[in-house]
Amino acid sequence: MTLPILPTTVVGSYSMPGWLERLKTEYFARRISRHDLDEIHDSVVKAAIKDQEIAGIDIVTDGELRRDNMIDYFVERIPGVQIDRSSKKFYYDFYDSEVLGRLPMASLGLVPDFQFLRANTELATKFCVTGPHSLSKRIRNKHYPSEQAFAADLARVMNLELKELVKAGGNFIQIDEPYYSGFPEDLSWGVDVLNTLVEGVQAKIAVHLCYGNRYGKPSWEGSYRYLFPRILDAKVQQLTMEFARRGGEDLDLFREFPSQFELGVGVIDVKTQEVETPDIVAERIRKTLEFLPAERLYILPDCGCVHLPRPVAFAKLKAMVEGARIVRKELGN
Amino acid sequence: MILHLNHVRRDAAAAVTSDAVAALVSLLEEGILDPGQYARLRVHLDWIQYRHNFREPVAITRTEQEAEGGASTLELRIDARQIAPGTLRDLVRSAMAGLDTPRDMPEEGTRAAERVYLEDFRTFRTSIAWDFNRLYWHRLKDWESATGRGYEQALPGGKSDANHPAAIADSVADFWTLLRDLESQNQLPPELFTLEIGVGLGTRAGLWLDRFHALDQQRGTNYFPRLRFLLCDYSQATLERSRPAVHQYIDQCSFIVLDALDPNKTLSFLRHKVLHAHLTNVYDNLPDEEMVRRDGRLYWVQVRSYLPAVDASRIAAESQIGAAEIASIVSRLLEVGPEVLADRCRGIRFWQDVWAAIRLEERLVDVENLRDPSFPEGIDYGQIEEMLRDAPSDIRFHLSSGALQSFRNTLPLLHPRGYLQVQDIFVTGLSDYRMGFYGPGKLDGSIVNWVNGVLLREVAERAGYDLHFAPFHYRPGSKTSVLYTTRRE
Repeated sequence: MTLPILPTTVVGSYSMPGWLERLKTEYFARRISRHDLDEIHDSVVKAAIKDQEIAGIDIVTDGELRRDNMIDYFVERIPGVQIDRSSKKFYYDFYDSEVLGRLPMASLGLVPDFQFLRANTELATKFCVTGPHSLSKRIRNKHYPSEQAFAADLARVMNLELKELVKAGGNFIQIDEPYYSGFPEDLSWGVDVLNTLVEGVQAKIAVHLCYGNRYGKPSWEGSYRYLFPRILDAKVQQLTMEFARRGGEDLDLFREFPSQFELGVGVIDVKTQEVETPDIVAERIRKTLEFLPAERLYILPDCGCVHLPRPVAFAKLKAMVEGARIVRKELGN
Repeated sequence: MILHLNHVRRDAAAAVTSDAVAALVSLLEEGILDPGQYARLRVHLDWIQYRHNFREPVAITRTEQEAEGGASTLELRIDARQIAPGTLRDLVRSAMAGLDTPRDMPEEGTRAAERVYLEDFRTFRTSIAWDFNRLYWHRLKDWESATGRGYEQALPGGKSDANHPAAIADSVADFWTLLRDLESQNQLPPELFTLEIGVGLGTRAGLWLDRFHALDQQRGTNYFPRLRFLLCDYSQATLERSRPAVHQYIDQCSFIVLDALDPNKTLSFLRHKVLHAHLTNVYDNLPDEEMVRRDGRLYWVQVRSYLPAVDASRIAAESQIGAAEIASIVSRLLEVGPEVLADRCRGIRFWQDVWAAIRLEERLVDVENLRDPSFPEGIDYGQIEEMLRDAPSDIRFHLSSGALQSFRNTLPLLHPRGYLQVQDIFVTGLSDYRMGFYGPGKLDGSIVNWVNGVLLREVAERAGYDLHFAPFHYRPGSKTSVLYTTRRE
């Protein structure tokens, strides 16, 4: 599948409708069945894919609408993690979960969700997976001698799943590690864990690094400077980062620390409902081109669109696509 | 008949209860009240907290289905504080007669001769009562000069809880601790934004700055030079009055006119940057509306303001205007202020007299019968149902539309580690509404109303914050609570 220059994609999640939030919560209150919820999920995922296609996105995801949040979708699947199922009141709450023994090697069962995505679009696809560092921050470790050891073992188990995704046809996988920004001191070992996760995985690997998007607001503030130079050791092809909301000051780091990474540049602020114009998007792309060549840029929102109302999310994606087209034209494409 | 005794007026409760029951039984025996109505009657005694309020001593309302032929509930509300001895029976009888008024043709009904209506039925937040409230704050000096007392003197304790030194010291200590934590994590921003909305005379801001300055010096942390204190109010005149209180720190202060309903609109350049936002007695003065749940159905309380005809005639005569003109002159008063009358002093007196006399008539409209229920920004029917899941089955509650709007539009300003602190009068459990209904009341020329903290908590959780309410323990007997947010994981 040939992609245009400055390909557009999303970070993962698409708008979560209020009625779906209520239905998910109804499921936890045992007022609707798993079967019904699965059918609902199938329908909304198809709709999310269709919205991305209509908006003109080049690389689509399943909108992550099956997921309660970026943690629990994995916590429920990782073998050996104990969950207190009474700990959730609202679907978006995190489960209380803990690990009491060494994680067994077993499938997480992500492949069917990826296959569903593949079966419902002709476009290029991306599948997103929360990284071991972020997961280790939310699962209480009662077994491993350190957080680092726990995260490394999560990476070992999840590596198998990534390979299964590749076998199923996945060629672009995004690892979400927003918690790096909250715990920059962990980066020294976080990159090793990331490398364990992606070892031998024959696909394009992106790592998504933002300042959090829980409830549609940042969890931390600061500068991406903390990433450098350690992140240069990551065996991934692409970094996707939040620049629309925070401004482009940190782009300078790519000049200061030259690398071969592609950059997924965030040009849409997902923490406001104000819809950017294509011209604003184009200006943000042009700014990035001062630091990196077009061949190494992917265009995407700062983070997932999960907290935006659907019309806003759709309008923002359309503006993003249009902004990318403006710049492609300027580049003679 | 269900009798609900709220026991607001404890000393006279037994006698009034006895009088009310005797009056209703006698009306039943005389055939004025039929047995069907009697059976469906809910009587609320001393239902409203504030002595100065918008209600008749006796008011009766029916839920909407009755007009459509269904068996609906009749609500009789009695405010014993307004009742002269021996008049209750006649007042109840008169209120019952008002029930015969055709719903959509009040001008033809019994009440028409007794009331001068100033608007059509609507949800309270859009009532002209709030235009009076707005006029009061914009023309505060006029009001104060006429009454000879400042607005703080009109508060229940004669002064604002905002300025309590111990509360301020605790607030400063919390803020300083946050700064120290951020610094220890190398996350202290270069500028430390803190925000007060509704600054009044600036007394709290001045005391807060004094305290923070002293603490910072005492601990040698040198945060103070980085502090940016924003004093915000929706009145330029108020902001001007606040300047002397902070003159020592004027270089670190900014004075910003903003609408408390939407701070984010004015301060969007500070999105995710404000470390501490504070409001005292602002939410209780923002537009509000009410709902009622009866027998499992949810009703919107719609109101229309009126002047009792006897008051309208008196005010017209004293103001030297025609009685028929009063509604249109009130309307112009709310547009141009007391200059509506050629003699400004007479205009102020007219304003104050109308405000003292104005009342609200109400009806209960089934939410499901409304084509566009128009819930306040940030809340939907599903969330209200969720909130009511564990609430008493029969309940009247505030939607606190203005407070909700302000709250939602302040949160985006907060830094990821920032917090909001609000001192106000909150209902923190829905079962508290069984103890009576907390407003609205009249406080000088403004409106005072309790705030539905349960609903705020519901909205906050969806926005990523947990809400906590602590009693304002600094002044014994204070009804104030302190709301503060913590980040929800």
